[in-house]
Amino acid sequence: MKLLAMLAGVLIVAACTKEKQASEDTEALRYSPRVYTVNYPLAYFAERIAGESVKVVFPVPPDVDPAFWSPDAEAIADYQQADLVLLNGAGYAGWLQRATLSQSRLIDTSSALADQLIPLDDTITHSHGPGGDHSHQGMAFTSWLDMKFAAGQARAVFDALVRLRPENEPNYRERWHELQQDLGELDTRLKVVAERIGDQPLVFSHPVFQYLARAYKLSGRSVHWEPHETPDNDQWRELFKLLSAHNAAWMIWENEPLRDTVSQLEGMGIESLVFRPCGNRPAEGNFVSVMLDNVMALERAFPVSAL
Amino acid sequence: MRDVLYLAWRYLVYHRLKTAILVTSIMLIIYLPIGLNVVVEQSAEHLRARAGATPLLVGAKGSPLELALNSLYFSSEHPELIDYSEATMVADSGLADAIPLYVRFRSRTHPIVGTSLDYFSFHDLRFAFGRPMAVLGECVVGATVAESLGVNPGDTVISSPETVFDLAGVYPLKMKVAGVLERAFTPDDDAIFVDVKTAWIIEGLGHGHQDLTRPEAASGVLRRSEENIVANASVVQYNEITEDNVDSFHFHGDLADYPLTAVLVVPRNEKSGIILRGRYTDDDATSQIVRPVTVIDELLDTILTIQQFIVAAVIIAGLATIATAALVFMLSLRLRRREIDTMLKIGGSRLRVTSMLLAEVVIVVILSSSLAAVLTLVTWRFGPRIIESFVLT
Repeated sequence: MKLLAMLAGVLIVAACTKEKQASEDTEALRYSPRVYTVNYPLAYFAERIAGESVKVVFPVPPDVDPAFWSPDAEAIADYQQADLVLLNGAGYAGWLQRATLSQSRLIDTSSALADQLIPLDDTITHSHGPGGDHSHQGMAFTSWLDMKFAAGQARAVFDALVRLRPENEPNYRERWHELQQDLGELDTRLKVVAERIGDQPLVFSHPVFQYLARAYKLSGRSVHWEPHETPDNDQWRELFKLLSAHNAAWMIWENEPLRDTVSQLEGMGIESLVFRPCGNRPAEGNFVSVMLDNVMALERAFPVSAL
Repeated sequence: MRDVLYLAWRYLVYHRLKTAILVTSIMLIIYLPIGLNVVVEQSAEHLRARAGATPLLVGAKGSPLELALNSLYFSSEHPELIDYSEATMVADSGLADAIPLYVRFRSRTHPIVGTSLDYFSFHDLRFAFGRPMAVLGECVVGATVAESLGVNPGDTVISSPETVFDLAGVYPLKMKVAGVLERAFTPDDDAIFVDVKTAWIIEGLGHGHQDLTRPEAASGVLRRSEENIVANASVVQYNEITEDNVDSFHFHGDLADYPLTAVLVVPRNEKSGIILRGRYTDDDATSQIVRPVTVIDELLDTILTIQQFIVAAVIIAGLATIATAALVFMLSLRLRRREIDTMLKIGGSRLRVTSMLLAEVVIVVILSSSLAAVLTLVTWRFGPRIIESFVLT
């Protein structure tokens, strides 16, 4: 009888301990900081560095370009609840200018690299009233296509996460180093293939490759074509005009173009290849794997034998 | 004893004018120094509480008092303006959190406070209804504003022009109420809070209009070249920010150059605060950093000095009044000589007659003291509001 009572006591203590542990885990989960981001690359950097220790939220629907997403008041209210909001900077996500967010929680990941931002030059100014001319000019914002710039942004993400969870710094540092390595390898491979491309003229289907072109010294000019739309006559004329001064043999698309468009371009002696900026979460893979696919697409298009 | 009191009371009632004058004079002499003390002490406590809860303020060089009164109590006179970059500089220093303040515009008599969400958490302001402002054109109103304007989430309030003669100025902005704050018993109850960017739109620094590059805006275009479009006067700027037009709202130039009245600085710790204050000691600096509690203490010192003068004057006047009252009683005794003689002749003892005369004095003093106590209570209840309206407007 005494033995039974002791056994029951041990079981009760064990059960209580387990319950307490479970309750602490639930508490930890409930209070794990929420980190919101405005694009997928930043969400990926945060997930890579922080792992499960924070809840990374990237609420932009998969079929929307995060740069031009316009969240409703409820979505903004969610951002207001975040412990940290990671911004891309360079005027990315114009809705930020129209939203009210807590300044102390905003982290502009490109603020330390502000002098490296590329201003857009195709802007029309307008004037009305006594204010004089003004434009809605901005900066090119697909900054993460320059892997060194991306590494700088990852550094800003790391710093912000360490400030948020200082007790996790050793883990974060280790994972950040791994991420830096991945980005470094992508940078090296891009440089190698860019060397092979040299000053061959390229056409970009959309003006989102400014940082890629600058970082890897690509001689690219942009048109305004959408991959899922058939170009109209004006757009073809725009391309002919561009080709007359910039005789490109390759067009680099941000997404898989329509078959007909590819065929028509081939008829003109222009090959197509896809280099996904990966601003939104990919259906498969992650930021590094998508960038790796991009690099391999370039390597296939410009193989070593082409030298 | 009751007969003595009855006779004293009847005498005072019969000579009601004389009694009223005596009671009023003595009541004022008792009330004035006590009431003044209550007002000053309560107001000092009230002012110090708000100032003490605000560690530091950065503003343009000039009157620290104007800066503190505008930033803490939203007084109507705004200080010289500083650039938004001051707030960024403080935040980027890593020494403190920076909460921008742009307190310049009003909706009727209620101040419109352009700030950020951090203001609510800093002052621990809770929402009775609704939520914080989320997009341009939304506002959060204090409890008094909600009561006096009868507004709830979903309703609208309109900004007022800075002056009635501002005919060519900016259009009033219609703002949607997103939330109502719980009563905090501070100046926040009387304020309308907007994002600082909304305050810039009220000023006309940001605006929304048709996209002039689009064909449907042709009627609003005066001149067009490859690089520039000049609009004519028919281009209407929106005076209400809705879901349909919010995307057209934009700001020109660098937001870092946009105006603020102050930056509320919340240092991470005492050392950070000292380092930050050290950065504003340069004589050539165009901005200053002030400790609101020091500024308010200086103001209170001035008020206390004035109070001491007034109390001294009241005490002198009080002594004169007491002397006059004593004279009135003595003269009254002479005038009542025959009345007193009659009372003695019909059998009234000298003690009872003296008691009756003393009872008259005691009743007058009790009446005066009671009225002074009531007035002091009223002052205790409404005093801070009265002095705030004097000091802050």
